[in-house]
Amino acid sequence: MEWLFDLTEKLRGTQLVEFSLWVSDWPLAIWLQSHFLAIPGFQTLHIIAIAALFSTVLMLNLKIWGLTGGDQSLEAAYRRYRPWTWGALSALVLTGIVLLISEPVRNMVNSIFWMKMVLLAVAIAGTFAFHRSVRGQLATWEASPAGHATLRSGAIAVTLLWCAVITGGRWIAYAPV
Amino acid sequence: MSSVTIWQQIEATPLGTTIAEAELLFPTIETVHVIALVTVIGVIALMDLRLLGLVGGSKSVAAMERDTVPVVWTAFALALLSGGLLFVSKAATYMANPYFLWKMGLMLLAALNMAIFHLVWSKGMADWGRPGHQVPTAAKLSGLLSLALWMVIPLCGRIVGFTLGVYY
Repeated sequence: MEWLFDLTEKLRGTQLVEFSLWVSDWPLAIWLQSHFLAIPGFQTLHIIAIAALFSTVLMLNLKIWGLTGGDQSLEAAYRRYRPWTWGALSALVLTGIVLLISEPVRNMVNSIFWMKMVLLAVAIAGTFAFHRSVRGQLATWEASPAGHATLRSGAIAVTLLWCAVITGGRWIAYAPV
Repeated sequence: MSSVTIWQQIEATPLGTTIAEAELLFPTIETVHVIALVTVIGVIALMDLRLLGLVGGSKSVAAMERDTVPVVWTAFALALLSGGLLFVSKAATYMANPYFLWKMGLMLLAALNMAIFHLVWSKGMADWGRPGHQVPTAAKLSGLLSLALWMVIPLCGRIVGFTLGVYY
């Protein structure tokens, strides 16, 4: 865990400190800080957004593994879940920005927060690539769902990536300082 | 003679003190809890939204139920297990917290709502969505109540995290 201390120490030497202190004087930041329900309220919206994202990612992946969705084609499952995955992502980012403003110093001068941001970027890129790969294999999947090893492993990888993002989110509160 | 409550006794068990004292154990179990509860809330919402007819109309209610129920139960078991472990480490503190008690009460209400849906309202579900067969109003209201409850439950959970030292 020593390297996490070191990373936070490095962040302390950057402009982020001044910047986050400046953000904490914004009217929105002060409003969020001074209303008891504001931060848990936005955290709840953030949790509901990740619930929508994660559950639609999971349901599509379970379909690819043949565990659910036996009544419909892969295309139907993809069309059902894809808009919710990306819609939830925008809600996730929006509520995340509000939470960032609510506690700027605690988040920006925090090694785990930045690790979560890197994981988030990888998870978004991974989900995007995975969806493209699903689209490309819809026709061959209908012919025979056998094979398709890239889709099957991609499904697991994408699920694990979002688990890693969630883990990062929970551990922001436990970053070594 | 001071009276020791059952919650304090639970806290003092080897399991309780181990989780409370090990630095990384509590956040690790919390992480499992979050992944599990996010799955419970999201997948239940898929079923509720289908009942309300708002999305997923191309899929029958019965097929949506077949898809979602096993996932919800698996994730719920994980949430219950991880939540139980978190509870044991601070049992007396949680039991003194009104938001924690609200959370438990609302979860009981959600369970009751789900049980009534399966025992009473779900009769004839196989036909719902077929021509001439609407989803009954009672089933829709049950879905709406479920959706609302599963939004307030995590709110109570989050507030508990901010009020742990307040009541005890």
